[in-house]
Formats: sequence, C-alpha cells, structure tokens
Amino acid sequence: MASNISYDLIWEITRQNSSYLVKRKQAGGVQFSRDPLNLTNKHSKKYEGYANDKAIGILPGENGGVTLLTKKTGSANKPSSALHTTKFGSNKSSRKTYRSIVSSTAKKGYRPDLRAEAVSRASAIRKSQKPVKQDKPAKLRGAKARKANEQ
Amino acid sequence: MALLMKHVPIVKKHTARFNRHQSDRFKCVDPSWRKPKGIDNRVRRRFKGQAAMPKIGYGSNKKTRHLMPSGHKAFLVKNTRDVDLLLMHNRTFAAEIASAVSARKRVEIIAKAKALGVKVTNSKAKVKTES
Repeated sequence: MASNISYDLIWEITRQNSSYLVKRKQAGGVQFSRDPLNLTNKHSKKYEGYANDKAIGILPGENGGVTLLTKKTGSANKPSSALHTTKFGSNKSSRKTYRSIVSSTAKKGYRPDLRAEAVSRASAIRKSQKPVKQDKPAKLRGAKARKANEQ
Repeated sequence: MALLMKHVPIVKKHTARFNRHQSDRFKCVDPSWRKPKGIDNRVRRRFKGQAAMPKIGYGSNKKTRHLMPSGHKAFLVKNTRDVDLLLMHNRTFAAEIASAVSARKRVEIIAKAKALGVKVTNSKAKVKTES
C-alpha cells in the first residue's frame, strides 16, 4: 500500500469488501478475514494488518513451529520487502517461543495492544501441530450391540 | 475439541409458529403470518383467548442469539481454508460443511477441523465409514 495514503482511508475503502474479507449470513452476518497479518481473523481495523502501519502475523511453520511476520514501517511502497520474517522451530519450547514473540514485538513498543492475541495465536498453532488423537470407537446400542455380543 | 465458552442459558420465549388469524378455518388462508388490520379484529385488539401476535419482546437474549443448542454459532465452510479462519474461534464457532462439498473434500475438511479443535456440525454427512 502506498505510504501517502492514510490507513484510515484504506480501512474505509476495504471495510465493505476486500479479497481477505469472508462474509457469512449466519450468526448475524459474521465477518472474518484471511489476512496473514491478522492475529484473530476478525475483520476489524485493529486486527487487519493491511489497515495498520505496524502489524503482527503468526503463521504455522513448514516443519512445525511458527513463523512471526511483522510489517516494516516506512516501506509501504515496497510490498515485496515490507515484511520481516522470524522462524521459530518446532524444537523450541512453546513458552520460549511466546517469550521471544513478545520480546521482539510488544516489549519493544511494537503493537503492545496485540500481545495477548499474539501469544494465544502462537499457542493455538502449536496445539494444532500436535498429533491428532483418534476418536474412541462408538459404543454400540440396541440390536447392533446384541449382534456384536453374539459373535 | 476445544472447551466451549460459557454462556447464559438459552431461552426461547415462543417456540410455536405464529399462524395467521383464521388460517385454521379456511384453506385459502395461508398460515404464514399477516398482521390483522381490520377495525373490529379481535386478534389485533388482543382480546382474551385470542392468538398471540409476534412482537419484538419474543426476541432472544442478545447473548444467546444465533446460538445452536450446543452453544456454538455456525459458520459455513466450503474448503480447508475456511476452517483455518476458526483457529482462534473454536470456542464460539462451529464449522458447518456446505451441502455441495464432495465426500473426498469433506474428509480433508474434517481432518483439518480436528487438528484445529473445531467442531463440525455435520461431520457424519456424506462421509461413509466402514461398519
């Protein structure tokens, strides 16, 4: 996004419709966002990465672990080099990952309002990378149970 | 599955349908609701023993509006990318697979949802399991 456009204007233009926006008529017209720089996937000015000068994004890494994205300020007119990427491997403990995410962003005064969201997203991603538990086989009832008992 | 967000009990104030006045008497009068407008109409004047009319007071509590009996809100998903949106909302939203999605893609969506801890409301539909 060009730096000579205000982010408030960008937000007002894209708030009704954009490629990131996902609208549904369910749940009273819920709106989510696919923006990688959006920590909660909520479509709102605070969380949308493209509508803010500074933004944090946390994505699942290729081989487990998480990837931290931050926007470089002042390079809004160079979109290919506007992102700063940090990778945290799957071997790094989750708590250390959260600590380095927080110390490289919120503690430096870079979007301190997103601290809790950043940690909870990193946590949710780490949790989703764990091996999936198998469902317990459903307990049979009635005729099926009787049939299984006979065999 | 992620722990459900706590919510106040869901109360439906009026579960019966509101049928149009005299739709029980004449088959040409459709039961879909029309507000009676006549000057002498006893339903409009809310006489004792008459049918109740819909009004805003029957609306659900804002906190439980759109909730399913499970306490989740439904979100229609068509592919695994849509499930990703619910990563941070698995305590309030449940995924509902769109009716036109094939069985093969349903399997992918259900696996993704399971990894993210997202409830799928229609996870048994179309997907055949060996029995």
